[in-house]
Amino acid sequence: MSGKWQLKDHEAERQLFLRRLTIAAAIVMLLFAALIAKLVNLQIYQYEYLSARSDGNRLHSQYAPPARGLIFDSEGALLADNQPIFNLTVIREQVQDMDATLEFLASLISLTDDDVEQFRNRLQRNRVPFSSVTLRYVLTDEEKSKIAVNSHLLAGIAIEPQFVRSYPLGALTAHSIGYVSEVNRRELDSLSEEQRENYGGTNHIGKTGVERTYEQLLHGTVGYEIVEKNNRGQVMRRLDRTDPVAGKNLSLHMNARLQIAAEQALGEFRGAIVAIDPATGGILAMVSKPGFDPNLFVTGISSKDYSELVNDVVNTPLFDRSINPYPPGSTVKPFIGMAGLQHELVDYEFAIQDPGYFRLPGVSYRWGDYTLRTAIGGGHGHTDLKKAIYQSCDTFFYDLGHRMGIDTMHGFLSQFGFGDNFTLDISYARTGVLPSRDWKMESRGEPWYPGDTVNSSIGQGYMWATPLQLATATAIMANKGQVVQPRMLKAVDGVPFEPVTDNPRQDISVSDPDYWRYIHESMTMVVHRPYSDVFRDYGTAFEAIAMADREMPYKMAGKSGTAQVVGISQEILSSEDIEVSDLNKDHGLFVSFAPSMHSQIDPQIAVAVFVENGEHGSSVAGPIAKAVIDTYLLDILELDFAELDRQAEAELLAADRMVAQSND
Amino acid sequence: MINQDFGRQTTSFHALKRHGAKIWRVLHTDPPLLVGILLLCGFGLFVLYSASDGDEVMVRRQTMMMVVGLVVMFLVAQFNVHFYRRWAPSMYAAGLGLLVLVLLVGEVVNGAKSWIDLPGLPRFQPSEIMKFVVPMLLAWYLASRPLPPRFKHLFWSALMIALPVGLIVLQNDTGTAIMVFMSGVFVILLAGIRWRIVITGLIAGLLASPAWFVFLAQAHQKNRILTFFDPSRDPTGAGYNIIQSQIAIGSGGVYGKGYGNGAQSHLDFIPESNTDFILAVLAEEFGLLGVLLLVCLYLFVLVRGFYIAYAAKDMFSRLLAGSITLTFFLYVFMNMAMVSGLVPVIGLPLPLISRGGTSVVTLFVGFGLLMSIQTHDRKRYS
Repeated sequence: MSGKWQLKDHEAERQLFLRRLTIAAAIVMLLFAALIAKLVNLQIYQYEYLSARSDGNRLHSQYAPPARGLIFDSEGALLADNQPIFNLTVIREQVQDMDATLEFLASLISLTDDDVEQFRNRLQRNRVPFSSVTLRYVLTDEEKSKIAVNSHLLAGIAIEPQFVRSYPLGALTAHSIGYVSEVNRRELDSLSEEQRENYGGTNHIGKTGVERTYEQLLHGTVGYEIVEKNNRGQVMRRLDRTDPVAGKNLSLHMNARLQIAAEQALGEFRGAIVAIDPATGGILAMVSKPGFDPNLFVTGISSKDYSELVNDVVNTPLFDRSINPYPPGSTVKPFIGMAGLQHELVDYEFAIQDPGYFRLPGVSYRWGDYTLRTAIGGGHGHTDLKKAIYQSCDTFFYDLGHRMGIDTMHGFLSQFGFGDNFTLDISYARTGVLPSRDWKMESRGEPWYPGDTVNSSIGQGYMWATPLQLATATAIMANKGQVVQPRMLKAVDGVPFEPVTDNPRQDISVSDPDYWRYIHESMTMVVHRPYSDVFRDYGTAFEAIAMADREMPYKMAGKSGTAQVVGISQEILSSEDIEVSDLNKDHGLFVSFAPSMHSQIDPQIAVAVFVENGEHGSSVAGPIAKAVIDTYLLDILELDFAELDRQAEAELLAADRMVAQSND
Repeated sequence: MINQDFGRQTTSFHALKRHGAKIWRVLHTDPPLLVGILLLCGFGLFVLYSASDGDEVMVRRQTMMMVVGLVVMFLVAQFNVHFYRRWAPSMYAAGLGLLVLVLLVGEVVNGAKSWIDLPGLPRFQPSEIMKFVVPMLLAWYLASRPLPPRFKHLFWSALMIALPVGLIVLQNDTGTAIMVFMSGVFVILLAGIRWRIVITGLIAGLLASPAWFVFLAQAHQKNRILTFFDPSRDPTGAGYNIIQSQIAIGSGGVYGKGYGNGAQSHLDFIPESNTDFILAVLAEEFGLLGVLLLVCLYLFVLVRGFYIAYAAKDMFSRLLAGSITLTFFLYVFMNMAMVSGLVPVIGLPLPLISRGGTSVVTLFVGFGLLMSIQTHDRKRYS
């Protein structure tokens, strides 16, 4: 402890301390100067840059998706609506541990592996950072409250309301209206740069049917809003907003009541019905049965539901029968007859003696009469064109077709839309086959044989047509050659829609307009020519239609058809659930328009009915067509045929009086 | 024993009134220092109100803390500084004991085992006490030795520093350890330690730092240092705080965005916006001018501290006043430099502005000691 007692020079020590204190003060000032320099650098020289970074932190431009246009039927009933649902969404950037969070959520609400898988797929897609991705659609109230209670444990998880499509008629419009579903990568890639921008806030896009055809009209224009978000991505304020422009509301020619009636008329059968307004070509009803619930697809169909739909090889609910081709069978006979008249291969007097079969010159093979397979043998006897139509005499048409040749047949029938897509807005409809020499050479590599013509003349062989095509051809027939092109869309936002087509079809002109009346009469006799003492001289559909309903206030023209089942896949044959014999049954077809042969009113509706494995055209498909026509004429148009008939009578009387007066 | 001058001063009350300023000597309060402190406190509460998004409860609690601090300062100032000199070794020994006790029965808060809850006392951090006890002890030790200090005195001084610092490091409270260490080092520097020793020490420190970085530094410390050199290394993780606080400061510009309009802080982009990073809020809302005002207020307090050290009558008072002032400066500078990106992130609050408990009281103890040095007459005590 010697140091403690050493002599201290207090003044020297004070001077030493003060020197040190001065140095310390100088260092303090230096350091403050450095600090201020740093702040000046940040707040003056880097101000612009850091200011922009600050705005970039908080200001976000986000899309305001437009409301999708609604779809109405011709009477204003909703076919496609927008309904609010509540979705569980995730902002990935804010979730600490995705697996743990998903596990926790699964303990709160039902969350299938499927949901999780779809969610992970959505995460894979290109997306804006801090945007929300849907984990599960359509939360129930109970699930919403469970999430809300646990929200403090669920960072990055939110419940977001969303408007999604709903289809009130469900399976009834699954094929014709189609459905929307989540936009996929491929669809996004196919959009132009501008369109992609427009889809920035949109999750759904029309996948099939009207929803797809008129996607552009229905979608609308995206809006934008500038929002201020905090560090957790919550929107604090809306600073600027460009409102989205809602999609256009579409009105269709389709009539919901008729659509329902058509679906019910098919009963337990699989099949398709297409009804067209001959005046406009507007599609009044278009049913393919069985359908499926399109609402399932809107919020992401589960793979279980989807595989059920896909694996149902018998009912094939996803398959749209109304626009897929089948052999049209005898339903083509009126058109071939018309071709015969126009090309003067037959006239009103021409008749054959039908032995019940047809033989090509020099060929021993006999083409039998299918319609007589179960009848008592022999032919139809003396048969003219009219009888050949209402009795559906194959032999007559074998002969006519053979004499006509495939080139004439092809040329004439193509005017009715066979082998072609006449529609204005159903681009995805199949064209079927209207065979020709070129077609056969191209697709089969074989020349055309005369026997092919014989088969084609009764709508078998290579000839294939869709129910939609049959309805179209029937409508043109009802119009006496004035071509109408089938269309779904009637009006956009209440303004009548006039589609532009770059390929307008020519009206069919025939040398004598009376030919139309003649065919109309023949087709009317299919339904209305009663049984008589004369052997085989009744309409094939008389019993099933006119006889079944003797009170029928109007006349309808029709033609039945039966199409052979062409091939059944091995898969179906090996299935144990169904009786294969049922699937081997012929398809029943019926084309019709009504009212026919009416002096006061033109045909109002043309219908094609296709009944899969229905076995008979006239007895099975015929009454179905009549039910559809009844609903349209009597319930929907509410035509008063008694009154119309009275008018017709009065006119007739007046005309008679005129004739009588002029004779005086 | 409290204020033995009291009787004399009160009896000559009228004489004192004539020299109006002398009343502050009676109260043992230094008016310039008090004004500086009060202005800083006021400014701090004003900024905190905005930084906490108008959380009145928080602001009220902070106000209470400051009032407690002022009372503590006033009480500390009533004792003659040589009373503290006498008791310095005992306080040091008691402090060491508490530090050991903390290691045994302390509570862990924010990863540091530094809190102790003794019966009959409010919960406190013994390491805070060391912030003024260590310079007090060193000043006591060196003031009575010939200056500049000899090597053996330096050795004992170093040991006096190393003991508590080591114990605090064991608590895992590096920030406090550094401050305690520096408060002791300031005494030695002011006591006139030879420059060649200082420079040798600096060089040794520099040479040792890579070794420290490789072998001793903990992961988060390495991270902070790497981030300091390249904030964009991990912009959403370790670099996030410093990037966001620089954005806040820079976007404030010269005039600031206006009180309560700091988007960075109000939208929660600045973490710890009412504690360590409160300067970012201030700079964003009041701009460069606001920061300069703050610097001026601090300078005012510092200059007064330097003056008190300069004017002190004995070496103990000089060394203690100098060390307290420099420690206060170190706090201010380290925080401001860290928030503006001049030094790596160290978890230190901005004195009198940041929200905080014990550390506020410690600061006021320091101010109390300064006032005691300024207002007591040494001769009267001895």
